This record gives sequence, structure tokens and C-alpha cells, in this order.
Amino acid sequence: MSLALKELRRRPGRFGVATVILTLIAILLMFLGGLLDGLTAGNTGAIRAQQADLIVYSSTSQDSLVRSRIDPEQRRQTRDVDGAGDVGELGSVQLGGRIEGRGRRDLVPIVLFGYGAASRGLPKPPAKPGEAWADDTLKAEGVKQGDVIRVGPARSPVRVIGFVDDTRYAGQSTLWASLGTWRKVQNDNRPDARVGPGVSQALVVQASASDPADLAARIDEATGGSTSSLTEDEAIDALPGVAAQESVFNQIIGLTVLIAIIVVALFFALITVERIGLYGVLKALGADSGRLFAGVLLQAVIVTLIACGIGALAAIALDAVIPVGSIPFIATGGRLAGSTLFLLVAAVIGCAFSLRRVLGVDPATAIGGGQ
Amino acid sequence: MFLALREIRRAKVRFGLLISAIGLLVLLILAQQAIQNGLITSFIGAIERQSAPVLVYSVDAQRTLQGSVITPPLEQKVRATEGIAKSGRIGQGTFTVRVNDSSEDSDAAIIGYDAPDLGAPDQLTAGRLPEGPGEAVGSDNGFELGDRIQVLGSGGQTADTERIEVVGLADDAQLQVTPTLFVKWPDYVASVKSANPDARGVLPSAIGAAPVAGLDSATLAERINDSSQEADALTRQAAADGTPGVAEVRSSFQVIFLLFGLVVPLVTGLFFLIITLQKSASLTLLRAVGASSGLLVRSLMFQVVLVIGGGLAIGIALYTPLSQAQLGEIKLSFDVGAVLCWSALLLGLGLLSAVAATRRVLAIDPIEATTGEGGR
Amino acid sequence: MSESSSTPALEMEDVRKVYEVADEEVVALDHADLTVGSDEIVALVGPSGSGKTTLCSIAGGILSPTEGRVVVGGRDISGYSPSELTEFRRDSVGFVFQTVNLIPFLTARENLLVVDEIGSRDRKRAQERADQLLEELGLEDRAGNLPSQLSGGQKQRVAIGRSLMNEPALVLFDEPTSSLDTKLGDQMVRLIREEMKSRGTAAIMVTHDDRITRHADRTVRITDGRISA
Repeated sequence: MSLALKELRRRPGRFGVATVILTLIAILLMFLGGLLDGLTAGNTGAIRAQQADLIVYSSTSQDSLVRSRIDPEQRRQTRDVDGAGDVGELGSVQLGGRIEGRGRRDLVPIVLFGYGAASRGLPKPPAKPGEAWADDTLKAEGVKQGDVIRVGPARSPVRVIGFVDDTRYAGQSTLWASLGTWRKVQNDNRPDARVGPGVSQALVVQASASDPADLAARIDEATGGSTSSLTEDEAIDALPGVAAQESVFNQIIGLTVLIAIIVVALFFALITVERIGLYGVLKALGADSGRLFAGVLLQAVIVTLIACGIGALAAIALDAVIPVGSIPFIATGGRLAGSTLFLLVAAVIGCAFSLRRVLGVDPATAIGGGQ
Repeated sequence: MFLALREIRRAKVRFGLLISAIGLLVLLILAQQAIQNGLITSFIGAIERQSAPVLVYSVDAQRTLQGSVITPPLEQKVRATEGIAKSGRIGQGTFTVRVNDSSEDSDAAIIGYDAPDLGAPDQLTAGRLPEGPGEAVGSDNGFELGDRIQVLGSGGQTADTERIEVVGLADDAQLQVTPTLFVKWPDYVASVKSANPDARGVLPSAIGAAPVAGLDSATLAERINDSSQEADALTRQAAADGTPGVAEVRSSFQVIFLLFGLVVPLVTGLFFLIITLQKSASLTLLRAVGASSGLLVRSLMFQVVLVIGGGLAIGIALYTPLSQAQLGEIKLSFDVGAVLCWSALLLGLGLLSAVAATRRVLAIDPIEATTGEGGR
Repeated sequence: MSESSSTPALEMEDVRKVYEVADEEVVALDHADLTVGSDEIVALVGPSGSGKTTLCSIAGGILSPTEGRVVVGGRDISGYSPSELTEFRRDSVGFVFQTVNLIPFLTARENLLVVDEIGSRDRKRAQERADQLLEELGLEDRAGNLPSQLSGGQKQRVAIGRSLMNEPALVLFDEPTSSLDTKLGDQMVRLIREEMKSRGTAAIMVTHDDRITRHADRTVRITDGRISA
């Protein structure tokens, strides 16, 4: 083992090539993963912030918040279902926000939500009308606590009372206001989509004791099939684009890992060829193939770890440097660790290509240049 | 090129691995190019496809049809702008619909227009433009000729709601990754009222405008913007490119292309450098017996071209069936231009990457053949 | 230290080695008999292709014979599997090769310690032994040098030191003087003799150079796979 380590330390140039390429591939994997994570977070933050057991849409809405309508009767029916604990309302409207000091045509895309106490991942709804919590991506737009954002054509004023984290929706920043505020903003700005008092777009349900899937079925039954109740995960999957994005990205990531395997196999095969003579001598001296191959594996693992370390640093630097809103990229520990794991597996598999050659080195080649 | 080919034949595994790696990289690059194009088109295809050269949104719309509402005063100001030859209303909404009496409901984006040359698709792949009521041109990714669509009411009811028949098809005509229908204005109003019977007067989402002869669209857009602070006028292409998300998609993919694009020449260049170093004894021998440096360099370049060409061939061959596929709502296509561009770029970069190996070949001194090890 | 002086270092009886090369049988070694005493130095002389390298490889446990019996230091290795042979080489034999002797990225001292590395033996003891050998071979101030920083003669001495690290029953030298001029070659063989004799370790020196044979206890000639007296 220490032989393999010494070779790495004393002959870094030999491994430099494989390290450089693996670093590039590591950066690629981490960027792809971070992009997927950023896209997903930007799409799903608002739903995840509900920390709900169930989200209830109207059955004709195609599980789309903006086309869903829940009336007070449906809400009452849901509340009455055995096992439904807290039932709160949710409403949203997508408008352009005007921030002080910015140009007339320079609007920030904002989704304003109205919510109730059942949304556990958020602070209590603002008590006063016209107030809202703001997603902290708005800080990058220059918004500070106490600022007033004017939303929509009606320029409805909304005062920011504080910030919340990771609550974006459809890739846009969000404001979180009371239901009353939301209804007013919706009606003032979207007259062809007015909501009456007590009408909302969806219900947020915290189950009190039962299994969420079972509760979902019972709620839909209680409303006579006029609702479509989904678990939080199902609601996330139903968000437009989320499932498709994940699938496409994962396929690309998978292919990239395959490329990594081939590249490791290639460059370690090249390195092995150079060391045939060395292996011959070592085998003649009594080293067994298993030990030699373990050395090769160790070198591949170390090279990969170094590449992933640099890749991770690059990803973190990228995260810090990319301006909010230009590229939806976030570097999370889980993703960086996952990418490292994939590359380690790829390195081990890639090395296995050289196994046959290492095993096949004949110690007799050490003597007299072979017979 | 005898030497070059012999060497490849003798070392099939390593050249094979290199060519497969490049082939997969080419596949990924081309696939992602197709995904980027398909993605962008599925968002804004309808904008590029509709015929109005200038689109006027309300400034609060953030350049999306669905967020835009043109109030009557704004409409008046726009129509009164100097240089407008013609203008017409454009409305857009997304609706829950039932297609061909299916039991499952689906989504459709409906775009309504006043005049066919200001809002209808500028090109059809099948059928004709709507003439009578209840007719539509559909995006061919989502509809077929003869499809019957019923707009559902907000409670899911189908009595007295708008019915539409697809009489024409257009390609690359989707909006917001949703199957899209182009209808005449009255049908659009009827659709809105079907989904929301309480809707009071239906306002247009945008105004389509055409400039007078001698005036270009960009200047007209400027003039409209000058005439009203509430207007956000854009040429058709600028409207497509300015839709939120498009720029994000483009920049994200650019980084991806950069990274993938770098891997190819890096792997190629380093591979050839290593094998050149490894066979320096043979190369020295060749130089000693009279092979010119030029010959050896050409041999190297030949191998680079073979390797990258081989990788390109594999990548394109794998990409071709993929390009006919559909990823969810995104339609992929075989973009000849993109394939040619990338082929040229990768070949060029590959040859460039072999510079290091070339320099090593040129640095060989034939005298080393006599002094080197190997004398028994 | 050597085995008890009565056990021969090497006993080869009727050893044959046959290769199949492109549908033809090539007999590299034909009914070879050779005995080497426990502290004897034997020179094995023959032209290129005579089979001397094959014989050496079989004696050292690098190759298995097609037929015949091979006993090294009292251990019958005739039927050993490759992994058993590997262990045997590690524990009981020393090698000094003609080329590619030393590991280029290890210092002189580390080259000596390689044998301990590849087994899992007594690190401390190995380090002591290495230092001792380096001193005896006059290399103590070169201990930290890489092979690229050593002269041909110094490299050869490091190889000799390594070959003695595992206290072998037998050390095999393959053309030990081929890359040295007459004077250095002579010095080298004297050194070999000294080191072997002082430890009572047996050695076989493969060579085609007759001048070396002077320093051997006995010369064995081999031609076309056959040993002549």
C-alpha cells in the first residue's frame, strides 16, 4: 500500500493527467447536479414550506394551483373528515413587483401567496393587511425589511416584515401574506379571476392521526369527488416540469458517470502499460497480484478524491459567484457528496479494466528481459 | 498512413476506449443541444410562430402573455401610435379541456386573435386557418387534424361550454410547454366565459401590430413604448427571447456545453501526449532510419482525425434515433446546423489539443537511437 | 544466516521446461540436474538462448518446470501453485536482475525495504537490517538517494542489499556485470563473493562472461537447454 502512496507522491506528473480530466468531470457532475437542485428548489420551495401532510386542489384543476378553486363548502367538508387536523387555505397570484428605485419597466417576477396557520413551515401569517414575509432571494433585488413592494398593474402595496428561506415557486421569488391580503391583491389585479370571500385555491391539511394516503381518499370522498387530495410529494411531482426535469437530468448525469468510467479505464490502462516492467520486478520479488492491484485501486481512489475536492471547491465558488436569478444553481453538501460517491464507484470500475493486465504480468519478464 | 493505422490496430482497446468516450460525449452534447432548443421552443414557440411582427404587452406582464392585460386606455394609445399600419387584439389563457370526449382532462393554451396576420400562426404544416366559428389551428405537438376540444367550466361542467375543432396544424407552436390552440377572437372570449362564467368583459392580453411600409418593427416598438409608460412593446423575436426563463435556460446550457466541450479536446490531447511519450523509443528509431518529422506529425494528426471522426460518427449515430423522440412535452429534432457546427468545433479543438504531442514528436533527436537503452 | 550446512541450497533433478510457440514445441531446458551447496557460489555460463535464464527462473520460483523436481533450501517447490511460489519468492529467494532492478521512485533505503513492504513482516526489524546492509555495502550516505542519483555500481550494490533482506537460502544474479566496465565488473563480483561468503548464502550467477567464473566456486556450462559437466 505505501508503495502505491509513495509513487503517487513522488511521481505526481504521471497521475496529473488523469487528475485533471477527472477534476473536469467532477465539476461537470457537480454542476449538473447543482443545476437540477437549483431548478427543483426554485420550483418546489413554496410547497415544501407548507410541511403539509396533504394539499387539496379542486378536481378539475389538473393539480395546478393557479387553476384550482376551493369554496367554503369544500373547506367545511374537508374539516369535518375524521383525521383531518389543521386545515388551512392557500392562494396565489403571479404579478410583477415594483421595487423603489428601479426603472419603470424593470419588474421583479413575484408570486404572492395567502396562507393560514396550517402552513407549518412558515412563520405566523402577518396580522395586518398589506404585510408579507418575503423570500430571501428578494434581498438580492435590494429589498430590505420594511420596504414596500408594489405588485401588479394596480400597484398594490405590500410591506415586507421579514424574510423566509427556500420558499420560491415556479422559479420566482415569493411574498407570504394573510389570506385577506391575497384576496384583495388578486381581485384588484386580476379582475377576470376574482375570488369571493372564503374562496381559495388549495387547502393545506395536517393529518391528526391517520395515514395521509388514506386521509386523502376520504377527503375526496367527503367532497363528492370535487377535490383532488395529494400528499406533499405527489403535489411536488405534479408541479409542471419537476418530474421531467429530474428524469432528463438524471439520465444526463448517468451518461456522464459512464463517460467517467471509460476515461478512468483509459488513462489507468495507459499508466499500467508504463509500469509493466515495475510490476514484473515486484512480482518476481514476491508481491502478489492482489496487492499490486490494491495499490492501483488506492491510487485511483486518491486521484478521484483529489479531483472531487477541487470540483467541490469550484462548485462552492460558483454558487457564491453566480448572481441570483441568472443560473439556477445551488451547491448542496448532499449533492457534492453524492457526485463524489458516483465518481469513486466509476474510478473503481474503470480500474478493473486494468486488472487483467496487472494479473497477467509474468514475473519472468523481470529476468533477462523475458524468454 | 500505414503506421498510424497499424498502431491503432495493435492497440484496439485503448483507441476503442477513447473513441467510445468521445462518442458518448458527442451524444451528450448533441442531445443537450436538442433539449435546449426543444425546451425553449416548447416555452415560446407560439410567440415565434404567431404572425404579428410587434407584440405589445402591458408593462406589468414581465413579457409573458399570461401575465399581460391591456386596458382600454392603453389599447387606445397603442392604436394611435404613429407608424402603425394595422393592429389587432391577442388574448391568451390556459384552460382545462377535454379532447375527443376522453375521460381524462388535459391542459390547453388558447390564443385568440383579431386578424390572421396579427396573431395566427405564420406557417401551417397541415390544414388551414380557422374560417368559421369553433375552429382552431393546433400545435402539432399535442393535437391532430380533426381533434374536438371542449373547454371545461370551473366546476368541470361541459354544458354550454365552448367547443373547438382543429382544422389546421403548426409546428414549434407551443406556449409554456402546453398544447396550444390558435382561435379567432370570438372563440377566445367564449372559452374564457366557459371557464369563468362570472368574467366581466374580456380584455386582450396583448396587441399585435404591424408597421407601415418603410418602417421597421424595432422602431415601431420603440415608438409605442414612448407613447405610453404602461406599454411594453417588443419585436416578435425580442418577445420570444425576453420571456422569463429563456435567458436562464440559455446561460445554464452554455456552461454545460463549455464543460462538456472542454472534456473532448482535453481527453484527446492528453491521450495522444501520453502514447507519444510511451512510444518515443520507436519514434526515435523511425527518425534514425530516415522518417521525416513531417511524416510522424502527419501520422499523429491522422490518428487524431480518425479518433474524433470515429467519436463523432458514433455520437451522431446514437443521437439520430434520440432526436426523433419526445421527452415529455419537449419535442426533439435533428438540427443539421448544430451537428455540423459541433463537428467542426470538436475536430478543430481536437487537432489543437494534439499540439503538445506534436511538439514532443518534433523534439525527437535521431541520435538517441544509438545511445538509448536496449543494446544487448 | 543460512540453513544448516548439510542442506543444499538448490537441488534440481531431471528438470524439463517446454514451451509451445506457434504449434511447435520449444524445449528451453532438457533434463537438467543441478545441485548447489548451502554456501556455494556457482557460475552458470552459456550463450544467449542457452536456457540459463530459464534455469535461473525455475530455481528462483519464477517459473514452474514442466517436469522434474526442484528443492530450494529443503523446500520442494516443484508442484507449487503461482500464489505459493509468490510467497516462496518473498521469503526464501533473492534476485538481482540485469535491468529494471530498482524502483525508480524509491530511495536506496526504501528499495531495500520493499521486500518487507510486500510481505507484512516486522517493520522495525527490516529497517534495522536495511541500515545494517547499507552500511556494509558502503551506501549509508546514499541511503536517501533515488536511483537516478546513483552510479551504475551503486545501483547494483543497492540491488544486492535488497536481495539479502529476506535472509534467503539462495540469491540469483542475472548478468551482474553486463552494464559495467572490466574494472567495475571485477569489483562487483568480488563484492558479491564477499557478501555471500560472509553470510554463508548460496548464489547462482548467470553470465556469458568467462572472466567472472574466476570468483565462483564452480562453473556450470549450459548449451541448448542441456547442462554439460
